[in-house]
Amino acid sequence: MSSTANAPKPRLAEAIASLGDTVSRLSHLSKRSYQNPYITLRQWPAEVRPEDDWFSSPEYVSLYGTPLWDTLDEPARRRLAFHEAVNFYSLNIHGEKGLMQGLAQRLYRKDLVDVSEYLHHFLDEENKHSIYFGGFCTRYAKVYRSRQFALEETRSQSVEDFLFFAKTMIFEEIVDRYNWVQARDARLHPVARFINDNHHVEESRHLVFGRQLVTALWGACVPSWGDDTVADLRRQLEQFFVVSWREYYNPDVYADAGLDDPWEVAERAWSAPAQRAHRRAVSTKVLSFLTEAGILDKEPADAF
Amino acid sequence: MRSDQEIRDLLRSWVLTKAPELSADGLTDRTPLFEERHLRSVHLPELLLLLERLRAAPIEVEDLRPGDFRDIHTMVDRFGGAGVTP
Ligand SMILES: [Fe+2]
Ligand SMILES: [Fe+2]
Repeated sequence: MSSTANAPKPRLAEAIASLGDTVSRLSHLSKRSYQNPYITLRQWPAEVRPEDDWFSSPEYVSLYGTPLWDTLDEPARRRLAFHEAVNFYSLNIHGEKGLMQGLAQRLYRKDLVDVSEYLHHFLDEENKHSIYFGGFCTRYAKVYRSRQFALEETRSQSVEDFLFFAKTMIFEEIVDRYNWVQARDARLHPVARFINDNHHVEESRHLVFGRQLVTALWGACVPSWGDDTVADLRRQLEQFFVVSWREYYNPDVYADAGLDDPWEVAERAWSAPAQRAHRRAVSTKVLSFLTEAGILDKEPADAF
Repeated sequence: MRSDQEIRDLLRSWVLTKAPELSADGLTDRTPLFEERHLRSVHLPELLLLLERLRAAPIEVEDLRPGDFRDIHTMVDRFGGAGVTP
């Protein structure tokens, strides 16, 4: 029996209620910017030229600053940047798939009826993001496989709710840094810029919701959880942080970019000082949020 | 190509970094890693990447069964290079 078995009734509704009018304001904004992705997708070109255009900012390519990067000529760098863009979109697809599952599970749950309107927007928006990401991947390349695989674990509802929203927030915060930078990068192909810009604009609402909800949920639950549960949650979040970052170094990408020994390439890139510094810089904001809120008590050392 | 013994040793040291409550003496090839919650679902993507690197071949996630990761012995048996000539 886990130490969370005696946790009190679900706290999610209480935490959401404490967000006050944030939820109704976000719902209003979602309605105002409701999208039809198919109109945009129709305007995208039938094909793209990965060696002629940048699809990722070179500074955000996973080999940037490593010795291997220096050996690549410009077309090879662009080709790698293209596959990395496809990987970035693919990991968003897999992340959003899990996110949609979690949101759908909570839709109209008895204690959550009051926030179902916003859960509908959240779900709808993630589905549309995946239509853009998937549209790009299937039209110009493929969807990279995910290495996520969940074993059955028994947790109390409050732990399950907290982990779900905290992981969502960590994932979205890291993605958003990439979106923000790449939306502003004039070197990028217009479709790549659009995808990053559109996702950033939409995600800014989810990030507001995520930060407030995770803080409120933590505050509501932590007094009843006990030290073991808190320690266990922290360990899982730290490892989630590591795994979220690991997925940016995908051997399948290096193989498609024509590099030998793709798993060793991934391992060397992961350990390269420039890449460790990059991960730390991109993570600063979300890490200080998590530590200031008391959710993490130390930084996830394995991620850097 | 790494031998099964090398794969076993590298897996062991990875597990020990991820499960600080396990001592080197306490971890055997038959220690149930997930059942005893030394590892959790959230470790799997990194574990899969490690296994793929050690055997230098992809692992098809859709073919996996929960029991494949039960302990170090099972993982070496399931994913090791047995039968592959160097
Ligand atoms: Fe999204
Ligand atoms: Fe989102």
